[in-house]
Amino acid sequence: VTEVASLRPLAAVLVSAGAIPLILASYRRPNLREAWTMLAAVAKVALVGSMVPGVLAGDTYVTDLGSFVADVGFVLRVDALGLLFGLLASGLWVVTSLYSVGYMRGLDEHDQTRYFAAFAASLATAIGVAFAANLVTLFVFYELLTVATYPLVAHDESEEARAAGRKYLAYTFLGGVAVLTGTVLVFWAAGTTTFAAGGIVGLATADPAVARLAFALLAGGFGVKAALMPAHSWLPDAMVAPTPVSGLLHAVAVVKSGVFGIARVALDVFGPGTMRELGVGLPLAAVATFTLLTASVIALRKDNLKRRLAYSTISQLSYIVLGLGVLSGNAIVGGLLHIPAHAFMKLTLFFCAGAIHVETHTDDISEMAGIGRRMPLTMVAFAVASAGMAGIPLLAGFVSKWYLLIGSVEAGQAVFAVALLASGMLNIAYFWPIVYQAFFERPEARDEKPLLSGAFGGRFARAGAAGTGGTDEAGVVRADGSGSGDGDGSGSGDGAESRDAYEPVAGDHEDHADGEGHGHHGGPPEGGWERRGWTGGESTWFMLGPILAAAAGAVALGVVPAAALFLRIVRTVAANVGVVA
Amino acid sequence: MTDAVVLAVVVPLLGGVVSLAAGLRFDRSGWAVATVACLVQVGLALVVFASVLTGGRVSYALGGFAPPAGIELVADGLSAPVLVLVAAVSLAVLVYARRAGPRGNAFYTVYLLLVGGLAGVTLTGDVFNMYVFLEITGLAAYALVASGDSARSAVAGLKYLIVGTIGASLFLLGVGYAYVATGTLNMADLSTQLAAVGYDSRLVLAAFGLLVTGLLVKVALFPVHSWQPDAYTFAPDSVSVLISALVSTVSAYAVARIVFSVFTVDFLAAVPAARTALVYAAAVSIVAGSALAVVQSEIKRMLAYSSVSQFGMIVAAVAIATESAAVGGLVHLVGHAVLKGGLFAAAGVVAARTGARTLDDYAGLAGRTPVAAGAVAVLGLGLVGVPPAVGFVGKWYIAVGAVESGTWVVAAVILASTLLTLAYVARVIERMYFAGGSVESGPSRPVAGVSTDGGDSATEPDEAPVSPGMVAVVVLAAVAAVALGFAASGIESLLEPTLAEVFGA
Repeated sequence: VTEVASLRPLAAVLVSAGAIPLILASYRRPNLREAWTMLAAVAKVALVGSMVPGVLAGDTYVTDLGSFVADVGFVLRVDALGLLFGLLASGLWVVTSLYSVGYMRGLDEHDQTRYFAAFAASLATAIGVAFAANLVTLFVFYELLTVATYPLVAHDESEEARAAGRKYLAYTFLGGVAVLTGTVLVFWAAGTTTFAAGGIVGLATADPAVARLAFALLAGGFGVKAALMPAHSWLPDAMVAPTPVSGLLHAVAVVKSGVFGIARVALDVFGPGTMRELGVGLPLAAVATFTLLTASVIALRKDNLKRRLAYSTISQLSYIVLGLGVLSGNAIVGGLLHIPAHAFMKLTLFFCAGAIHVETHTDDISEMAGIGRRMPLTMVAFAVASAGMAGIPLLAGFVSKWYLLIGSVEAGQAVFAVALLASGMLNIAYFWPIVYQAFFERPEARDEKPLLSGAFGGRFARAGAAGTGGTDEAGVVRADGSGSGDGDGSGSGDGAESRDAYEPVAGDHEDHADGEGHGHHGGPPEGGWERRGWTGGESTWFMLGPILAAAAGAVALGVVPAAALFLRIVRTVAANVGVVA
Repeated sequence: MTDAVVLAVVVPLLGGVVSLAAGLRFDRSGWAVATVACLVQVGLALVVFASVLTGGRVSYALGGFAPPAGIELVADGLSAPVLVLVAAVSLAVLVYARRAGPRGNAFYTVYLLLVGGLAGVTLTGDVFNMYVFLEITGLAAYALVASGDSARSAVAGLKYLIVGTIGASLFLLGVGYAYVATGTLNMADLSTQLAAVGYDSRLVLAAFGLLVTGLLVKVALFPVHSWQPDAYTFAPDSVSVLISALVSTVSAYAVARIVFSVFTVDFLAAVPAARTALVYAAAVSIVAGSALAVVQSEIKRMLAYSSVSQFGMIVAAVAIATESAAVGGLVHLVGHAVLKGGLFAAAGVVAARTGARTLDDYAGLAGRTPVAAGAVAVLGLGLVGVPPAVGFVGKWYIAVGAVESGTWVVAAVILASTLLTLAYVARVIERMYFAGGSVESGPSRPVAGVSTDGGDSATEPDEAPVSPGMVAVVVLAAVAAVALGFAASGIESLLEPTLAEVFGA
């Protein structure tokens, strides 16, 4: 590995930070303002992309900005793992920026300048997270990412958005404290925090108790943003943010900065060898497995589309963490490959949810029967991406899951493979009804979805359940197809989900726009959904283009994974760490 | 270059006299005299800083009497940065006070006396001399706090006077015990003599307890902080900036000086009880100060309680007494001064422009005073410890020190203090930026004509309540807070020789 001194890593971070003053200054001219965003996005992906050939050839690009604290430098370094995250975030920012224009203007949102500025800041810090060369530098950008995203979560300025913002700050700063503590311990035990492929040498010989504590703090701290249970509940609440934020930040950049942090800790701080010696991989994998199954079950009962997607995200992020916990070569490859795979698929799904919201102001799945007539392309993209989520072959989710499956069997931990398959089934259970009812049902003639909205326990429970608490409330309201209870089925055992409880159960559509607060009537218009053609009449191309681009990415990763860049980058990462040849 | 050391103390004191004398003839000469004196002071501080940077410790024997009998002024890696801080902040506050008031020659005379006292405490190498300068500082600060218009300023000043005098008396008593034990007052000499007397001597232990407790009253550590919230809240805005940035800061520096240079780390090692007491007092202060800050509704009072918490961190760093912790303590001392001074300055700008003084008034502030609101956000996050601002750097060093020395309780409290600080800072930021829609647009109190700041002459009606200079000070503080984060490793190398001496490495 040759180190190339270069300013490109720094430039890649700063290009969107430099766009912030320009965006703020051109607040009177929205077209110019969005031009700055697009320019920064394209420049960023070009800068990151220019480093791909070198990194695949074994080089690393380093910007050394000198000493920051004590013996720790402020250093940016682009290696294969950093490039994976950096390329993904910067590439999808281009797509999301276009979508943002369509979404924010379509809804005539307030404070768009602040929105675009904060978005640019989030991307600058996300790239900083990707390219940081040591734990301290990583922590700097990690905390800044929290701060930069906060205005986007609280964007709506409603009480619900403010509460979500508070929760977001409290959770992520708590995680930050854990990360900082872990970093201090690593620094104390090993004398350095610089990442080294395969692990920091000094840690292998450190006091195992200290090393275990440091690992727990680091993985737990990063796990907050990675939405590992039980620290996940900020994520569904953060769905109050505008949908492009939910799409890029809360499915890609922010949550994956947490996953990425865990990957750095697992591969470049402790290393698979030390992790095995310390025996910390298995607990991590166990937490991930619990999260991915539980979140899938909770997702079944979420009627708000974005919330269901949020729980799906929680579940899918744990696939990645699981791969890092299982520690066999293929599991690591599968986990890391799931970073881009999930990004493309989940971005598609969120974009679809946003397009539906902008066009019809519908947020609840129970009101989406027959919506395939109104938004055919959108719902096709949704169908494709959700099939990928379930791991259907020829889509991105299959390839990464395949690696994960064989990886966990290889490691002699087949129980995780079973969990993965079970989660795939659950994915189908909560995504297929959305697709099915969109195309094959109509608002006035729709079937009940017993698994999603019926009382737990089926008809046996139904018989004796009248008026015995929340579980049947959702079921009863749902029966006539016009209710708008959240379908929470509060028996999911998730006490922190108080937000759902606030929502009116009485079928008040006015207040139900997921806090977007525009007071529009959601659901189908009188007389059912009108039919729109397949040529883009359903929305603007500002939104359809990004939707189709993201969906195409998900297909490309599934059909020709070997040709798509990400698998090569992931293989390079695994080779650097020494877990595959 | 050693003359600069004594001039740095003498110039502001002389300036105070000149200001008073010129006031007999000119009505408004105070500000000009003070500015000249402070500019010279900044120059001198930089000269001292540069000579410490190149040549290490600088010592000056007052009146040619050689120490230990004579009084010694010392500039080293610990005192030089604090001296620069004192000089720079005093100059910046002058820029701020020109429009914000109070005005009048008497104010500027006392102002310069305060600056001279602070410089004296920073530079002196003699414990009795330190008492003298502490009293100069204290008396000037009491007068400045009481210079506000309202009766509450006077009461706050009186309270400060009473509690501050108790603190000073304890300190003086401690000086007495140390003198009885050793027969010397020079710090360097004391450090060897105290060791010779023996650290288990009751005289020595009493001296330590009295000296440190007296100073902690001045630092305003919980539970002896009671003078401080009133003083910060009811003082005129300019005075709040000055005393919040400097007075407790220099007192905390004095704690470090007494612990490191007079009693030395050997004393802490020999008397674990002393160290433990300090460590736990500091930890309690961190938590209690934050908890009290969270429940405040007035911005200045909230910031005041925040200082109680932050100084707990600095005292913890002194008590931990490893090299990392000492570096962290100094970085946080300087960093907190910039952050807190900037926050008080921003609060003053906001109050002058919109009349907003409580948390509820701050709703939707970002739309009304975007620059001040932005500065409050940056400085507040710096205080929380969001990197790369200086607040993080200090915390990092102190936390590393705490872990190294195995004081796990303190390590946990210091790291968790991020969340405690976040609790009150996030409230303000949320109000400013995200409460515009639902909360009615703040107070409609007119401010023109009503001098909230007091002073000899009220703001003239045709004058804008906020000058560009005031805004510049606020912005400068925010920029400095971030920039200093990257300068901290420089402070470490500056401190290196001094630390080597203190820790006997």
